[in-house]
This record gives sequence, C-alpha cells and structure tokens, in this order.
Amino acid sequence: MNRSIVEVSDLSHTYMQGTPLAHRALNRVSMQAAKGECIAIIGHTGSGKSTLIQHLNGLFRPQAGKVIVNGLDVSDPKVDIKLLRRQVGLVFQNPEDQLFEKLVGDDIAYGPFKMGLPLAEVKERVEWAMELVGLSFEEMKDRPTFALSGGQKRKIALAGMLALRPKVLVLDEPTAGLDPRSRQELLQRIRRLNQEERLTVIFVSHNMEEVAQLAERVYVMALGQIACEGTPRQIFGNQEILREHHIGTPEAVDILYKLREQGYGVDPGAFLPEEAAAEILKLINR
Amino acid sequence: MSAEFELSRNITIGQYLPTESVVHRLDPRFKLAAFVILILAIAICNTYVGNLFALVICISMFAVAKIPLHYGISGIKPAIPFIIILATLQLLFYGEIANGGTVYVQYGFITISSESIRLVLVSAMRFVEVIFLSSVLTLSTSTTELTHGMERLLGPLHKVKFPVHAFALIITIAIRFVPTFAMEMEKMMKAQASRGADFGTGEWWRIIRRTKDMLPIIIPLFNVALARAEDLILAMEARCYTPGASRTQYTHYKAQGKDYVALLTSIVISVIMLVIPW
Amino acid sequence: MTNNPIIRVEDISFSYKVNQDQQIPVLKNVSLDVYPGEYLAIIGHNGSGKSTLSKHLNGILTPSEGGVYVNGIDTRDRMRLHEVRSKVGMVFQHPDNQIVATIVEDDVAFGLENIGVAPQEMKERIDASLAVVGMSEFRHRPPHHLSGGQKQRIAIAGILAMRPQCVVLDEATSMLDSYGRQEILTVIRKLHEEGMTIVTVTHHMSEVTQADRVVVMEAGQIVLQGTPREVFSHQARLQELHLDVPDASRIAAYVHAQCASFSVDLIENDEVVEEVNRHSIPQAEASGT
Repeated sequence: MNRSIVEVSDLSHTYMQGTPLAHRALNRVSMQAAKGECIAIIGHTGSGKSTLIQHLNGLFRPQAGKVIVNGLDVSDPKVDIKLLRRQVGLVFQNPEDQLFEKLVGDDIAYGPFKMGLPLAEVKERVEWAMELVGLSFEEMKDRPTFALSGGQKRKIALAGMLALRPKVLVLDEPTAGLDPRSRQELLQRIRRLNQEERLTVIFVSHNMEEVAQLAERVYVMALGQIACEGTPRQIFGNQEILREHHIGTPEAVDILYKLREQGYGVDPGAFLPEEAAAEILKLINR
Repeated sequence: MSAEFELSRNITIGQYLPTESVVHRLDPRFKLAAFVILILAIAICNTYVGNLFALVICISMFAVAKIPLHYGISGIKPAIPFIIILATLQLLFYGEIANGGTVYVQYGFITISSESIRLVLVSAMRFVEVIFLSSVLTLSTSTTELTHGMERLLGPLHKVKFPVHAFALIITIAIRFVPTFAMEMEKMMKAQASRGADFGTGEWWRIIRRTKDMLPIIIPLFNVALARAEDLILAMEARCYTPGASRTQYTHYKAQGKDYVALLTSIVISVIMLVIPW
Repeated sequence: MTNNPIIRVEDISFSYKVNQDQQIPVLKNVSLDVYPGEYLAIIGHNGSGKSTLSKHLNGILTPSEGGVYVNGIDTRDRMRLHEVRSKVGMVFQHPDNQIVATIVEDDVAFGLENIGVAPQEMKERIDASLAVVGMSEFRHRPPHHLSGGQKQRIAIAGILAMRPQCVVLDEATSMLDSYGRQEILTVIRKLHEEGMTIVTVTHHMSEVTQADRVVVMEAGQIVLQGTPREVFSHQARLQELHLDVPDASRIAAYVHAQCASFSVDLIENDEVVEEVNRHSIPQAEASGT
C-alpha cells in the first residue's frame, strides 16, 4: 500500500469555544487514507462527520491535533490554502445548489479561471471534467444550467470540482435526494474516478447499500470520535457495532443475520445481494 | 482562526434570556404597549433630569427582569461611533437652529450654546435609553410572543383594511427562516471557497472587496430562497391557508393585574419625565 | 374493496405551460382510486409524473382534463377547497420548507387557524396529534434545533390536527438519514394500523413493501399496478424503468436461477429466511437419518 495521502491525527474541534454554548464536535480523531483508496465515513447525524471532512481542505483549521494532506500541513498558518483546496476537492451535500453561471460550461470553468489558468487550458480541463462525469462537452457546454434535472446539475457541480484536478475527492452524501437511476449512475462515475483516475475518494453516507458497493474501508463515527474502522465486510459482519451505533444494515446483511440467529452457518459479511445469494445456495444445495 | 465561516452560530436574533422574571411573564400586548409609551416619552422629553430619571428607570428594569446589565452595555458598544458622530454633527451644526440659552462659542457658522450642548447630551442619553429598553424587551420576550403581541395590538387596524394577519405572518416567517438562511449562506460560502473562490482565505473584509466576487454566493442563495418560498407556499396552501381569509387564533392572552400595573407604571413614568421642567 | 373510494382520479391529463404555445405534458390519462384505510405507494423515477399526480390528490394542482374527486367533491371547486384539503393532508419533501411558525405548537396550530377551529378545541387537537407523532415534549421548542426526522414529524402532526382521512407523503423521507426515515415509517405504520389512508410517493423500496398496493409511473402514465409482490415479480420491467427492487427479491431471484424450487416472488427479508427454512429442513432431516 502507498503512503497515506490524508493523515489526520488526534484532531479535536469545539464549536463556539469559550461560550456557554460550546459544543465538542471532534474529540481526538485519527484517520488515514492511502493514495487511491475509497473510504466511507458513516455515523449518526451530529457524530462529527461533516466537521471532520471540512478540516481536510482547510475550511476548518485544527484547534488541536494535525491534518496533513498530500504533504501540506493544514494547521500551519502559512500553508497555501488555495493550493490545498485544489488538491482536496470537497463536494458538499446538494452541490447543485451552488451553480450560479447561466451556462453549464461557464460554471465548470469557474474554479480553473480562479486559478488564473490560460483560456486554452481552462477549456481543456472543462472538457476533460465533463467527459469524466459523463456529460458531452459539445452538447452540454452551452446549455442553460437552470433547465437541467437534479441529477445532471449534480454532475455539473462534480465536474466543476474535478476541473481543479484534485488528488483527493471528498463527498458529503453524494447521492442524497437522487432517484435510483441517477444514484446508480453517479455511483458508477465515482467508482470509475477512483479506479481509473486513481483519485482518492472519501465519502460520507447514510446509505449502507452505497457504502457496501463503493467503499474499501469504513470509518464509523459516534459522538465526535472514531468508534471503529474496518472493511465493509468487517463492519457489516459485526452486529454489535451496527446495533450500538444505529447503523442501518444493508438488506442482504439483515437476511444473513436472521439466518444465523436460526443456527445457519452463514457469513453475514456478505453484503452484496449476489454474495448473500451464494451464501444461501451453500445452505440449500448441500 | 477557524471562525471565518462560523456565521450561523454567531447569529442571535431574538436573544431571549429566559430568567422567568415578572417582566418575562407579562402579557406581550401590554409589554409592547408599555414599551411604545416609554419610547414616545423618551422621544419627547428633552430635559436633563427627565432623561436622567429615564436612564435610572431603564437600568433598574434590568434588575427587575433579572438580566445582567452587561447585556445592555454590549448593545451600546457597537453604537458608540454612531453616537459620537451624531454628537459632533449636532454640536457643529445645530447651534443655529437650537437658539436660545447662553452662547459659549461663535466661530463662523459654528455656534455652541447651552441649548446645543443640551441637545447633544440629551440625544446621547436618549440613544442609551432606547438601546437599554429594547434590550430588556427582546431579552425578556420570545420572538413568538413579540409577533403575537404586535398582531394583537395592530388588530384594530384590521377595520381600516390593513392586513394585520398577513403582516404578522410575514414577520413570523421571516424570523423563522433567519437561522435557515444563515446556515445556507455558511454552506454556500464554504462550497464556493472549496472550488476556488477567494473568501475564507484572507481577512474578513476581503469578502466585500468586489460585488462581483459575491455573485457565486448571492445568485445561488437567491435561487435557494426562491425554491424555499415556492415550497413554503405549497405547504401553506395544502394546510388550507387562503390569503386574506379570516382565521382563528391559537394563542390567547388574558391580561392580569400585573399587566395593568405595568402599563400604568409606564404611563406614570412617562408623565413624570414630561413634567420635570429642568 | 367494496366501499367507495376517498379519492377518485378520473382520466386526468396535466401539462405545464412553458410559454404561450409550448406545453410539457406531465400526466396522460391517469385514473386511480384510493380506498379508505388503504396504504398506497407510488413509485417511478424523477420526471415520471409521480409527484405531479400526488399534488392533484388535494387540489394543489388541478387537471387540465379529467377530474379528481375527494369524497365526491371536485378539486376544481374553489369554494370547497378547504374541505378537500382538510380531508387529504400532505407532507412534502423538504423538512425545512414546510414549517411556518417559530415554535412547534404554533406550527401545528397553523392549519387549524386557517380552517377556523375554536381555540379550546385547537389545544386538544394539538395535544393529541403531537402525542401521536411522539413530539409532545418539543411543543415549545423552536423548529430549527430539531433533526430532519423530528421536523417531518411536526409536519405530520400539523396535518393530523386537521383530522384528515388520508395523508399523502410526497417523498417525505428522501431528505432524511436512515434513522430519521425509521422515525417517520414508525409513525406512518401506526397511523395506518389505526385506519388512516396513506399514499406515499417514494424511492425507497423498504417503504414500498409495506404498502397494500403499488402504482408504478413512467412518462406520465401508470404502467404497472398491483400488490408489492406482484409488482416486484416484474424485475426485468422494473429494471427497464430504472427502478430498484428490494434486496430480498433480488436475492430470491439469484437463488431461484440456481435452484428452481426456491420461490422467486419474495419481497421481505423474513420471507427469504422462511424460504431457506423450507428448503433446508427436509435436507437436515435427511442428513440426520
């Protein structure tokens, strides 16, 4: 495995520090992401997920602890924050809300222009980013943004981020509010970015099917701390963790647990429907 | 250091401080009425002693409402430059108009007399009184009570076709959405900063450098606000809201002895302020 | 069901006007009856017309052709719109965009104030409906400190207070996390058990399996209709429509492909477990003897 590209150690964060309303959102959180890895962060609302990912591109600076991304130390006051933000593309929840240019191409070009790149390169990046999210450059660049569907707008927002050519892509609830079709399509795009473009992907999600499909490694957060960490197989295969942290289980896992309660020897870590079916076939073909 | 984006957490609208004092428990209609009477008296009274008296009353009001005085003082701090500018302007340019009294300095168009000094000092005192008074009001009354009280007080205007309910509803909805929009704005600033916008990387005042830089925030915020408004209209319609139609009211206030006492006290204070001749 | 439908949707068409001479048809000749006490789910991908259909059920939209009748009242009859809307309540997608007031109980009162309920009665109704959704202790709180699920429960309470016969949920759980969704589903299940008619528009198949009847929309028309079991047995058709099926159905189909006697029309997790039991117990006995 490669050296970590994201290295968070002992990170703590308190909102409204020094007031009666002070609220500790992160408490000595440590996590790593290796180059090219795909990592899911799951946990209840208010567990600190959002606060954690906002440290990765320097929207928050560490109050205590360290965050180092691709060699840049986020806690260093002299760090080039714009360079950092180009290396870590943070896509917020419902990113389609942030589109503001009339035309699709212009909106995606916003970031590269802000970097001060020459027109030719901006154009090249926009084209590249649009192809990556599955939008035809020629066909879509001059379309008005407001007339597009929610799923398409979200792809445009994602392209706007990719045009900065980040090394790490951080996504907050990437598929929330999308219909099954757009969700599947977006998930495939993200997977391709991770596998073909070797982009390190860190995403926050409450959809366990999605976590099961995408993630190589999962961090479970609770009360501002990392409650546990492991592969989806390890996490979903451990019912105590799932129960304790109110993590929804993928349906397939739920079925396997029910079988196990009845005394069948199945592996509940088989979280994909195909795998679960294979486990069941083992039972009935024997 | 990391506070550059913490908008929503700093916003306190209707900074209600529930200390359960007698002032808190007053009927909001009466509380508002007493407030208006006192403000009027302050606006009219231009004597030193009258205003000193009002100042003492205002300060003692904090004690009655069990609210620490520093809440009121912190309300004055941001107004100090304003008070100073106003005082300077009055001192320099009001001498001619505020004629009468002894003239101390006469230099060109600048006249400083005992009357213009009185004007300056009284204005400053009025400023402080109004801030203290509004602080006590907002700290002791929830925004909901305030809108209810206002709606009831304006009730009679319904007869002259003034849309009282609609007006109160607009204010309620506006207050209701302040925290929502603050959060929205914070998210939008962070989202745009994440894709290369400049704010959040330098001093706070760089945000307002150029309006053009604000477009990536203003336009999406506006879109989101419109979408929200559309949703809200649908939701209100679905719950049988018809603009202009008569409605019943859930909250009913019943005046008690203490409410009448409060109103009467405010009238007495006002009369004293206005009859003091010095 | 022999009783009369609460809502009758009769051959409606609806199109959005883009400008003077351009119209986008959204619904084409849709007919649908909703019966008292029924739990109906409407599914379809975005743009299939399912939300537009649901907005016709209480007269928020009125059809360009055909008619929608709630208890026999035409939703185009503006004089009786209050009757229609207090009988068919609606919960929308965004938790934040349907709360009007600055404290919870005032928001629940909003609909009651609109239909002119007397103040004494309002209090009883507010108490009762907040209790149903389990939010009584929050009645004096400002809404912006509540979670998404809690806000949606308040929205439901506001509708229940109007004593509706039918609650329509227009993607009411799509903005919530799994925990919040469970909160809402629990409330809905309880309401349905008490006899409330439920119409839910959703993407979540776990909500669909609970329904008595499923209606699948595509391009403004109803293309598939039946019990969840019937509908989910058309896996290929649903895939064509880019719709999910429950994992239980998917697993059953995989197993069925290898082992023909394994039933294919399973929709709930427990059914899969039972089916496994049915298949393995004789074998267990066989191996025991």
